[in-house]
Amino acid sequence: MKKYTLKRILTSIFTLLVILLVLFILMQLMPGSPFNDEKLNNDQRAALYAKYGLDRPIIVQFFHYAKNMLKGDLGVSYNISKNTPIAQMIQTRLPISICIGGLAVTIGAIVGLLLGLLAALKHNTIWDSLATVISVIGVSVPSYVFALALSYSMGFRLQWFPMLYNARNALQSSVLPSISLSMFTMASIARFTRSEMLEVLGSDYMLLAESKGISGSALIFKHALRNALIPIITVLAPLIVDLMTGSLVIEKIFAIPGVGSLLVNAIQSNDYNVVISLSFIYSAMYIGIMLVVDILYGVIDPRIRLAKKGD
Amino acid sequence: MRKSKALVALLTASAMVAGLMGTSTAVMAVEESTSDLNIMLETPVESLDPQQATDGTSFEVIADYTDGLMQMDADGQAVPAIAESYDVSEDGLTYTFHLREDANWSNGDPVTAQDFVFAWQRAVDPAVASEYAYMLSDIGQVVNAAEIIAGEKDKSELGITAVDDKTLEVKLNVPVSYFLSLMYFPTFYPVNEAFFEGCADTFGTSPDTTLSNGAFILDEYEPAATVVHLTKNEDYYGAENVSLPGLNYQVIQDSQQALMSYQTGALDLTLVNGEQVDQVADDPEFMTIGAGYLWYVSPNMSAVPELDNLNIRLAMTMAIDRDAITADVLKDGSIPTYTAVPMQFAAGPDGSDFSEDQEKFSDVCKYDAAAAADYWAKGLEELGISELTLDMVVDADDAPQKVAQVLKEQWETTLPGLTVNLTVEPKKQRVQDMQDGNFEVALTRWGPDYADPMTYLGMWITDNSNNYGLWSNEEYDSIIAECTTGDLCTDAEGRWARLYDAEKIVMDEAVIFPLYTQANAEMMYSGVTGVEFHPVALNRVYKNAVKAE
Repeated sequence: MKKYTLKRILTSIFTLLVILLVLFILMQLMPGSPFNDEKLNNDQRAALYAKYGLDRPIIVQFFHYAKNMLKGDLGVSYNISKNTPIAQMIQTRLPISICIGGLAVTIGAIVGLLLGLLAALKHNTIWDSLATVISVIGVSVPSYVFALALSYSMGFRLQWFPMLYNARNALQSSVLPSISLSMFTMASIARFTRSEMLEVLGSDYMLLAESKGISGSALIFKHALRNALIPIITVLAPLIVDLMTGSLVIEKIFAIPGVGSLLVNAIQSNDYNVVISLSFIYSAMYIGIMLVVDILYGVIDPRIRLAKKGD
Repeated sequence: MRKSKALVALLTASAMVAGLMGTSTAVMAVEESTSDLNIMLETPVESLDPQQATDGTSFEVIADYTDGLMQMDADGQAVPAIAESYDVSEDGLTYTFHLREDANWSNGDPVTAQDFVFAWQRAVDPAVASEYAYMLSDIGQVVNAAEIIAGEKDKSELGITAVDDKTLEVKLNVPVSYFLSLMYFPTFYPVNEAFFEGCADTFGTSPDTTLSNGAFILDEYEPAATVVHLTKNEDYYGAENVSLPGLNYQVIQDSQQALMSYQTGALDLTLVNGEQVDQVADDPEFMTIGAGYLWYVSPNMSAVPELDNLNIRLAMTMAIDRDAITADVLKDGSIPTYTAVPMQFAAGPDGSDFSEDQEKFSDVCKYDAAAAADYWAKGLEELGISELTLDMVVDADDAPQKVAQVLKEQWETTLPGLTVNLTVEPKKQRVQDMQDGNFEVALTRWGPDYADPMTYLGMWITDNSNNYGLWSNEEYDSIIAECTTGDLCTDAEGRWARLYDAEKIVMDEAVIFPLYTQANAEMMYSGVTGVEFHPVALNRVYKNAVKAE
């Protein structure tokens, strides 16, 4: 297990380096430059290129950046917030995205699991149909539709929750965006839980467990749900990263100062360092979560753990 | 096993909640009053460094907490601010500003002449690479500014001297009639050197690294923040005239959300986009504010031989029905424009608007389908062709795309044989293409940097970096030279008249096809008065604003 984990970590680091290089090359292919302002003349543009070292060969820039990154320096922003260290920009925004995304995942996973369980246990009843309808809506309707609907009904009409994110009232103003974001997760989890549970419930070992006299919640939670969880976690993991890295549309609607809108603004204004840093952090989070998921498999399913030991 | 998992889950959940609470307690310190003015911003602040900032949003916020030598009055005229008075030498080359004794920074330091010297030297320092450095050189004509920017001289040789703590002397190469009005432009704002050095590289990135000498003090801001808050500066020399307890900015990029927030009373001032205008046009709180921006079509005369033909260009500009564009497409109060200098930003020696008369070039750009078709036929004949296909680059934003669609339709309907293809690009790419000369026709805009027609007319001289069509006319160049550095510098009336001659050449030659002067449709709470709107430099000034409870 240790050897396996170490190998996975090393591969992850190498992957991240490759990602960084690809990002650098992609930046070069991006149309325009950070300094395409109408008010700048050619000399000024050249001066700015020189100031930020953008006039050097791409490979030199890459190694320079990678070296600084190891020291924890992500560079400065060219446009969005001129000369501000990117670490400082992300530091205030990433926690907000993570909190809202985390809330969304939590709501989505819990409600989704319950819905799925309900549907599976009350198979072919009105409850099952209801849960199916809810999950079909959740999967097929985009989150911004929920966002607009919630914002109009609960924010504008009823005024239960703030329409716009407010750091002074973070918890309350996170409710509407989190719910909007959680719908997709909730629906996917509900569908997966339902089908996995149905499969598990119909399996031989469940029959065995039942015949051994195990019943009620122990049967459902210890034997059925635990076996159904593996594929659910596989689905949930990328959703977590997706949600935690911020959603552009939701951030725009609720005016949330998160990283999703930052990335899009950065791409639109060719703010290279911001794009590279954020994409890199996303990749790192993604790879990190996948690593955790792999290790979690072992915790949940002893068969995987045992197989690894034999490695 | 299960217990520990439950514990982990609990810890994660509580950490998340704590995180949210944490962010909330961190800013609790800021006092928010219900009578703060709540203002919607479309875009976040890009920079709070007065010598680095370039966009209207940043300028507005910087000016909320910083005063320059002069400030704008409600009509946009320059009136004393940090400078209590000033003297101009007879030859117009030396300005001496006498600074107020009671002007202080929010850390208690007095505002001194050295603060201006430090700031202006930063503005031209090639190491700082300020985008607005040309405000000191080409526009302001401060002695040695151009040489310092070019790296030929040291920044200490800039024509600005602190005679003593409260006396500042500025030397110019040539008399500049609008020099005082530059003094309210943020690039010329003072910076306290000791404070700046104390911030190291973090100057202007947080409330702790900004210093106020103005009507408000910044107390909530993060880089690229969506919320910016300022509180009234009780130590401001003009504090008794400031009525608002604070300003509360909220960046909202979704216009529907902004309007709904306004309707719930959470905002006092918000921008309305063209599609929403119909919903709110009858509301007494609805208004349109001139934004100064001139939108125009730039034909690339050097790259497309057909566009080098004057008849073709005249046909194209006369085939544009500008009224239809503003009334049916934009609907935000934008005004059809038939002059190369837009309306409402430059007032002449007698106080009248430079472009008030929109009829003076009617014969060369008014919508006239028949005349346009005639010019078109003549042009095609001269070129020996029967049809022409042109490619027009346009920004990937909502309004420009709609305008471009209408232009295409109007041209293709009126001018037989013309096909216009639209290339929609992100703005950065469009600007790059224009700078590279890699375009045929472009839909573009220009905002005034200072209150003088030269901010527009200066663009069309030979080799100007914004003269994308590479048009060149000797007579025009000489008129502009006469008005910037020549004899007319000291003769306000003569200069004004000569600028009309220059504008006439641009219009007669159809160097650009002016379309409209942009206006912003806004909603402002009826209890708010005294907000000053300007098309140049500082778009909104709140010092004298009053909000009724």
